[in-house]
Amino acid sequence: MARESKHFTCVICPIGCEIDVQLEDGNVVSMEGNKCEKSEEFVLQELKEPMRILTTTVRIKGAKWAMLPVRTDEPIPRRLLFKVIEELANIEMQAPVKVSDVIIGDIAGTGANIVATRNMKRERKGKPV
Amino acid sequence: MEADVTVIGSGPAGLTAALHADKNGAKNVLLLEREEELGGILKQCIHNGFGLEQFKEDYTGPEYAERLIGETEKTNVRCFLNTMVTGVVPDRTITAVNPEKGVFQIESKSVVLAMGCRERARGSINIPGTRPAGVYTAGVAQRFVNIDGYLPGKEIVILGSGDIGLIMARRLTLEGAQVKGVYEIMDYPGGLKRNIVQCLNDFNIPLYLSRTVTEIRGKERVEGVVVSRVDDTMQTIGGSEEFISCDTLLLSVGLIPENELSIGAGVKLSPTTKGPITTETMETSVPGIFCCGNVSTVFDLVDYVAQTGISAGRNAARFSAGALEKDRKTVEVVPGENVRMLFPQRYCFEDNLILFIRSAEPIERAVRIEISPLGLRMKRPYARPNEMIRVKVPREKLKDVTGPIEVNIRES
Repeated sequence: MARESKHFTCVICPIGCEIDVQLEDGNVVSMEGNKCEKSEEFVLQELKEPMRILTTTVRIKGAKWAMLPVRTDEPIPRRLLFKVIEELANIEMQAPVKVSDVIIGDIAGTGANIVATRNMKRERKGKPV
Repeated sequence: MEADVTVIGSGPAGLTAALHADKNGAKNVLLLEREEELGGILKQCIHNGFGLEQFKEDYTGPEYAERLIGETEKTNVRCFLNTMVTGVVPDRTITAVNPEKGVFQIESKSVVLAMGCRERARGSINIPGTRPAGVYTAGVAQRFVNIDGYLPGKEIVILGSGDIGLIMARRLTLEGAQVKGVYEIMDYPGGLKRNIVQCLNDFNIPLYLSRTVTEIRGKERVEGVVVSRVDDTMQTIGGSEEFISCDTLLLSVGLIPENELSIGAGVKLSPTTKGPITTETMETSVPGIFCCGNVSTVFDLVDYVAQTGISAGRNAARFSAGALEKDRKTVEVVPGENVRMLFPQRYCFEDNLILFIRSAEPIERAVRIEISPLGLRMKRPYARPNEMIRVKVPREKLKDVTGPIEVNIRES
């Protein structure tokens, strides 16, 4: 049997429990250091597939600013963060955009949508159109 | 121009204060903002983690701002953009300037200071060396990347492990830069633990403790920095110098409340927080002048900022309606054992006392927050200087207090 130990810092809340996990053939046999059940769930998810919210920007034309802030509307696999960033590199939006507008649906096959996180009005030469 | 409540600054503190002044019956509330839109620093903080407590939502900074702006638009609060306040005097006359009105004055029954804070820069920490391009504060780099769409450099060293520095380490990595490391002079990180995990560990960015930048090299552009180890007294250790090649140095070395206007208004400042000496009503030493958010002391979380905004807005409305007496009994709130920072500094028997405490030293064991002379004890699982402790003391427990209230952090 393959024994293994892993260490995690829980990020669910500001306490940041330091958790030690013992694994046997990939199965959890013990977990120490977590103060709540949520951090147990967090560790199990981290072992399976670490998931993260991605926040970034895309280019926008016709707005006051050059960049529009966006996010995934749910956590996506951490290993896909750079793939999503690459897919967004060539996106150029046109103002106006409203907060929560879907910019791209089902990004990189994750099932998550890229959504705008602010309103951007259409402007020309710094003045609202 | 006349007003009941005038709020200076429209970041999370100012927006919340204006909303709550309106909610508490102030008829004529003005919100003054020097930039061309509302929201303050939230607009460039595109990461999530905002409003978990206040709205039970995991918003990004811009989403949090949109929510507050949306709520403000439903009220009678009048917003003045592109409006720079140049002076406030103790009788609460405000002088401001904007392109439409030129220089103008506002006579306000009460004033809320919500100017926020600014970053410490190279000059504050005296790094020797040349003066090339490529040295930025973390917040300036954040603005370049998230709003203007410029990458400040390709090979980056970050000095200081404050939250903005950690968040920028992740952001620059995602945008294709190489972050060579985060260097922290203290022997513990400055930012929240979750940011160490999600911003550094997730991207294999190393964090080096007890180290600082002792020289910046490069003629036109940064070519590298010299990093040295420091001892327990934060003196650099000779012979420990190491050259790190990079084209950009980001500084995340602390924030200072921005109080030029407060000083002009005759408001007394605390040497510890660098913000106004304040009661639990968020009133400063000048009657009718209130403050909230990072102008008062630098808070860890926007939820804490909002909490002070709610209190400042409500009490500014009460003052403008004559419901808050000008001369009230107050007692001092003083730091005791293992307390580096304490806010507010006075108690005036109006509201519950919500204390914000920073420990002087990290204690990774159970601690008790002890409040004398009340004999109150609150347990906490640990005390870390980089994570503010918040404690609520109900008003009814404080009614018989006559002398100073002392706050201590002791091991259990």
